[in-house]
Amino acid sequence: MHEQADLRDGVMDTLIRLADTGTDVLVVVADSTSTSKIGAFQGKHPSRVINVGIAEQNMVGMAAGLALGGRVVFTANAAPFLVARANEQVKNDVCYSQTNVKMIGLNAGVTYGPLASTHHAIDDISIMSGFGNVQIFAPCDSVEAAQIVDYAAGMDGPVYIRLDNAKLPVLHGADYRFSPGHVDVIREGAELLVIALGSLVGEADAACDALAAEGIKPTLVNLSSLRPLDEPALLALLESHRAVLTVEEHSLHGGIGARVAVLLACNGIARAVRMLGIHEGEFAVYGTRAGIRKHYGLDAHGIAEAARHLIERD
Amino acid sequence: MSLKQNPYRLAPSDIHRHAQGARRHICRMNAHARSGHTGGDMSEADILATLYFRVLRYSTEPMRWHDQFILSKGHGVGGLYGCFAELGWLAESELQTYLRDGGRLPGHPVRQKLPELITVNTGGLGHGLPIASGLAMSKQRDGDDGRVFVLTGDGELEEGSNWEAMMAAAHYKLGNLVVIVDRNHLQLADFTRNIMDIDPLDKKLAAFGMEVHELDGNDTTALVSVIESLDCSNGKPKALIAHTIKGRGVSFMENQPAWHHKFPDEKELIQALEELADA
Repeated sequence: MHEQADLRDGVMDTLIRLADTGTDVLVVVADSTSTSKIGAFQGKHPSRVINVGIAEQNMVGMAAGLALGGRVVFTANAAPFLVARANEQVKNDVCYSQTNVKMIGLNAGVTYGPLASTHHAIDDISIMSGFGNVQIFAPCDSVEAAQIVDYAAGMDGPVYIRLDNAKLPVLHGADYRFSPGHVDVIREGAELLVIALGSLVGEADAACDALAAEGIKPTLVNLSSLRPLDEPALLALLESHRAVLTVEEHSLHGGIGARVAVLLACNGIARAVRMLGIHEGEFAVYGTRAGIRKHYGLDAHGIAEAARHLIERD
Repeated sequence: MSLKQNPYRLAPSDIHRHAQGARRHICRMNAHARSGHTGGDMSEADILATLYFRVLRYSTEPMRWHDQFILSKGHGVGGLYGCFAELGWLAESELQTYLRDGGRLPGHPVRQKLPELITVNTGGLGHGLPIASGLAMSKQRDGDDGRVFVLTGDGELEEGSNWEAMMAAAHYKLGNLVVIVDRNHLQLADFTRNIMDIDPLDKKLAAFGMEVHELDGNDTTALVSVIESLDCSNGKPKALIAHTIKGRGVSFMENQPAWHHKFPDEKELIQALEELADA
């Protein structure tokens, strides 16, 4: 069993270190201090947290203005309200104006489970991908989240980071070094390539454990760097496996499954593909997070089942 | 060259002369492009000329800004280009490339096209004020006395994001934020009062914590006098309701809703230039 840790702790540790070591970093929140678990950072650097109240459009607009003043500015609020409510500010003030704003989308996917669809963000990757220049990352554990924040703070330009509030298995050792674009292979196997997004990499890893007991040894990729993405590296992996299973807590429109399918099609590579995610024609169902994952076959059991079918079918 | 003063510091009468010059540029440019937001370009000309020829503190060699300006009513970019031509930053010949493929002069401000002159890309309405608030807060944090001016339309104030920003600007005591409302009473389709009445604007702005001033926004003397009287260290964000006339300066354009998005034909251009000639 892997140790479990909250991604936000990794994020806040990095932000504290950045502020301690002289980076002029600010965090703008929209009454989302508990959502972002910003207490420790705020305790050490109270003046570096700017709360604009429940006003997401103004949160992003002011973040862009603060960034124009020469600072490294993070926003931290729930992903559904960032990508939907402040969509035009994300587009114009951050992406199109190329301002140095790093947007953290908290509690993405169906993190909010029983709070239902107003609070789910199953479209954030799709929407952000439509803005051509924003870099997009979805860390799978706290080690990676910390390093992505460190990278984002050090580069100039818009970034979106998809986060979660669950404690997730720590799949990376302390020696892991995130690099943008890198296709992160968590387990090396053969025949089947499983590509998972963010919070589901842990579920996929558990599924691989179950499959290994049956003699199926898939390769597992953590697709944490969506833009930039080392497409040749991903293509090489796709070519060297005969079946592909994508796993995401996201709509099947515009998520990682669609991305992989386009990559295969545009390169004339035919592979058996199964995409797990939120189905066509649905908002995510209401329920506990475990229940929602079970419904869409996104839990370890469902992922393993899909893998078996894919291997047998092909 | 000092960054701490306006390089021109012109008298109101000279500012007015440049505003009229900018209006002539606007008319020629929009006639040539056969497009443009002529009415709004014309209403804001005196405000822009006052800012660039008197109020804003900046150096031109190199181009650096102590005070900053954001055109939130991005569709009024023609007025900005006209003003830049008066400043010598854009050649008359370049104005002829307005809205043309491959040029530097799109129909809304694009900072990638004129990086030294345009702070941020506007065009969607209700964006300038939140950004200006962030920039004003940044200056305040730096402890410098730089100010941020933002020009909004009056119809634009129907967008709720402006009110989010004003609430925050007052909360954070951004006294160095100056919002100028180009109050020409017209928006795209009709008079503002017929579409969505924003009055009593003064009371609404004051209720949101703004220090409100009303003035004739087509009178450069009034503009200079009010702006220079502002105390930007008093912790109160400023809102200037600048009463203007859409299409100002050309009789057949003034107060006509159609001139929001109409351009002068050949005959209209001749008459417009006659009416805008220096006395």
